[in-house]
Amino acid sequence: MSASTALPEEDELIAAELALGLLAADERAAAEARLTEPAFRAAHARWQHYAVGMIAGGEEPPRPSIWAAIEARLPGNDAASGAGSSPLRWWQASTALASIAAVLLGAIALRPTPTPVIVAAPPPPRPAAALVAVLVGDKDNGAIAVSYDPASDRLILTPTRLAIGKRDAELWVIGGDAKPRSLGVIPAGEIAKRNPGIDLAKRIVAGATLAVSAEPIGGSPTGQPTGPVLYVGKISAT
Amino acid sequence: MAEIVAIDAERLAQDRAALARALSAVAGGDRAAFEDVYRRTSAKLFGVCLRILPERQEAEEALQEAYISVWRRADTFDAAHGTAMTWLMTIARNRAVDRLRRGGKIATAPIEAAEDVADPTPAATDLVARSQDEQRLHHCLGMLPAGEAGFVRTAFLEGSSYSELAARSGVPLGTVKSRMRRALAKLRLCLQ
Repeated sequence: MSASTALPEEDELIAAELALGLLAADERAAAEARLTEPAFRAAHARWQHYAVGMIAGGEEPPRPSIWAAIEARLPGNDAASGAGSSPLRWWQASTALASIAAVLLGAIALRPTPTPVIVAAPPPPRPAAALVAVLVGDKDNGAIAVSYDPASDRLILTPTRLAIGKRDAELWVIGGDAKPRSLGVIPAGEIAKRNPGIDLAKRIVAGATLAVSAEPIGGSPTGQPTGPVLYVGKISAT
Repeated sequence: MAEIVAIDAERLAQDRAALARALSAVAGGDRAAFEDVYRRTSAKLFGVCLRILPERQEAEEALQEAYISVWRRADTFDAAHGTAMTWLMTIARNRAVDRLRRGGKIATAPIEAAEDVADPTPAATDLVARSQDEQRLHHCLGMLPAGEAGFVRTAFLEGSSYSELAARSGVPLGTVKSRMRRALAKLRLCLQ
């Protein structure tokens, strides 16, 4: 292995403690924040390597049925497994929300108030089917109406009442691969308009799921949802 | 005593690169690559699960959960910061520890004598293939004073934090921290 970096011993030990899971919550958060420093990050990676090296051994190929069970549990294969329940994805964990969303979507298009203010855009050359979704929360938390115009790549969110406390609400689109992709933080109480851009736009399609999670201010630090689901709904064509 | 043979460094580098490539293909949703990753790594990951979870069925469940995590999070693997195998084994360890701790029993369980938790001794007829890395780590663990390697290893196997180690052993937090840090500092010196 290469010669040691210039990292002071104290920092090296903290990197080791982080890799070994020894730190209490606040110390851990402080250490994790330092992973942006290259030398600290490199030390952390090294200690992760030592840590798993310490517990390696007793290698044993698992039974063939284990692979079959894993395959059956992959997203998209769930219907084929048959035996036992498939693991719920995080946005499906609140089944009450999901079923309410399904009922309401049939009954409501967009809530009329407050009226969304749509910035005038040039008319699209071909009419494209607009997409809508109603994201429903627990009983008193209101709902979020969402409309998306693929032609102008314009996503409009009309929250009525976001009960979020001291956190930010982050919007995610989840498609067939079960991976949430962020559409950004929603300002509470205001109408949000955004252009998701090409990569995200292709995922905003009928049948995909939209979900809102509670995140730290500024949005999820990890790029994936870290907080509870507050609203969920499926996208449908108008 | 088991014979230790050196793994050909070039072969090791090739295997590592192949695994990293397969994992990056998994990030793109490639199921064949996912199966390739499984074939290459499941024996090692299962070994880790078995060390952490005493019941075989539990270890099997944890292994499944680990690979589901691998499938979902393959796009978070950063080849610039560690090997794919370390990443995979860390996931297996984490899922196994999650499972171990789910019942809440471990937080109050007495700490096993650290000396008992050693490396499993390979059978005399086994050839233990180790890379230079692994050989050096085992050498350095062996250089620690009696009980210290087990102390570090147990903490990681059980997912214990400093405060939990102190609570379970009845030893003051400061003492536990000093002991661990001394061991880690010695390891660091040896491994440099």
